[in-house]
Amino acid sequence: MNTPMDEIERRICKLLASYLETSNFAELEAHGDITADTNIVSDFTLDSFQVMEFMMELEESFDIMIDVNSLSNSHTVRDLARIVSHELDGSTD
Amino acid sequence: MALLDKFAAAAAIRDQLRSGGPDPTRVVIDEIISPTEGMVEGRHTILAGTNNYLGLTFDPDCTAAGMKAIATQGTGTTGSRMANGSFAAHGALEQDLAAFYGVPYGMVFSTGYAANLGTLVALLSPGDAVLLDADAHASLYDGCQMSGADIFRFRHNDVGSLEKRLQRLGERAHDCLIVTEGLYSVMGDCAPLVEIVALKKRYGALLLVDEAHSLGVYGDHGCGVAEAQGVMHEVDFFVGTFSKSLGAMGGFCVSPHAELELVRYVSRPFIFTASSSPSIIASTREALHQLKTRPELREKLWRNARRLHEGLKSLGFEIGPEVSPVIAVRLGKKEIALPFWNSLLENGVYTNLMVPPASPDQHSYIRCSVSAAHTARQVETIIEVFGQAKRFMSMP
Repeated sequence: MNTPMDEIERRICKLLASYLETSNFAELEAHGDITADTNIVSDFTLDSFQVMEFMMELEESFDIMIDVNSLSNSHTVRDLARIVSHELDGSTD
Repeated sequence: MALLDKFAAAAAIRDQLRSGGPDPTRVVIDEIISPTEGMVEGRHTILAGTNNYLGLTFDPDCTAAGMKAIATQGTGTTGSRMANGSFAAHGALEQDLAAFYGVPYGMVFSTGYAANLGTLVALLSPGDAVLLDADAHASLYDGCQMSGADIFRFRHNDVGSLEKRLQRLGERAHDCLIVTEGLYSVMGDCAPLVEIVALKKRYGALLLVDEAHSLGVYGDHGCGVAEAQGVMHEVDFFVGTFSKSLGAMGGFCVSPHAELELVRYVSRPFIFTASSSPSIIASTREALHQLKTRPELREKLWRNARRLHEGLKSLGFEIGPEVSPVIAVRLGKKEIALPFWNSLLENGVYTNLMVPPASPDQHSYIRCSVSAAHTARQVETIIEVFGQAKRFMSMP
């Protein structure tokens, strides 16, 4: 059965919060709740290394592989959830 | 956003880097005295961050070969090899390199960056899969991205992470390319090539190893980490550079696969670039000869590497457990790293500063590269100057 999108989004929000907390991101407290609309780069000034590191955590948590090319137009938690959903379903659309 | 507004972020980074003194990315060596010494801002400075591993940049035979080539072949080739013709020496260097690695095919490129780009864009196409070490050099990333292949990263030097991805690829694993480096230039650690080769064979993949920093440094003959680990004959493609141990500029790919000869016809970074000048090719050929015939250079390099590693460790610095000619000192916060690096420079030691996102994690590092040409006294001075800069470690 396919995992619902909102559940994937919730898991990504939780993973992102945990990553930012571990990495001591000062912006986390000021930002408030992380939602599907949260922009992972501009809302937290993640640099390119940190984005890639977070992607690796996402891959391991969902037990999927993410093509690096697919990230170029992904900015928000919702964008990432679409990629994760696609990989979980193995769909080709 | 206006086209040029995006540079505001770069300007902020530059201003931050300049805040504690000279910009670490724009150090000017006004006068080069020797492979390990120069004048920076009027000071005699030990060069401990130039990747000049064998110290061959001033070797009399190498400089003589370069000068003779200028006198007899001119200053440049004035075009690409495909359009304007190869000089005989380009082909001779390709044969030298192939023979050195014990394979039949070799290609030279105008830079190390072009070698990685040019090889990967030719080997990979959209629909192919490439498994790339997460800490791989930017040129390897760029080559993979430019090819349009699907790029999957595995955790740095993590064989379990690589195998998991090979499993997930399923049938595609038989056609995929694994890309690693021999010696990683930021932290100075080596790839576990024995284990990676075992996986490549089990899943039927191909393996490309970038020996840019390990050529001339590792292995009984100086071929690199694959030689040192006894798996040279299992590597499908070796890439490397002339700008480190060979003291010049340019890059190469050698391979047991005849298809490398066809890369010339399809690799845009090879086709649409001017070829290396005669002096570069000549000094590189001579440097390769020196590398092969003077094993004492490698012995001296390793003696210096062991002493610097031991000296910095005994001062309490956090450095990697693996002794190599690349030694990265972990400093933590950028606010500490900048005055630390500046203190080294003011006291006559040039090193490389790495701050996020150019470092492999969220810490800042000072990277030293050791040379066979460093004298024992110079190595001791580097250690002393690091000891003096240690006071910055206690900054709030």
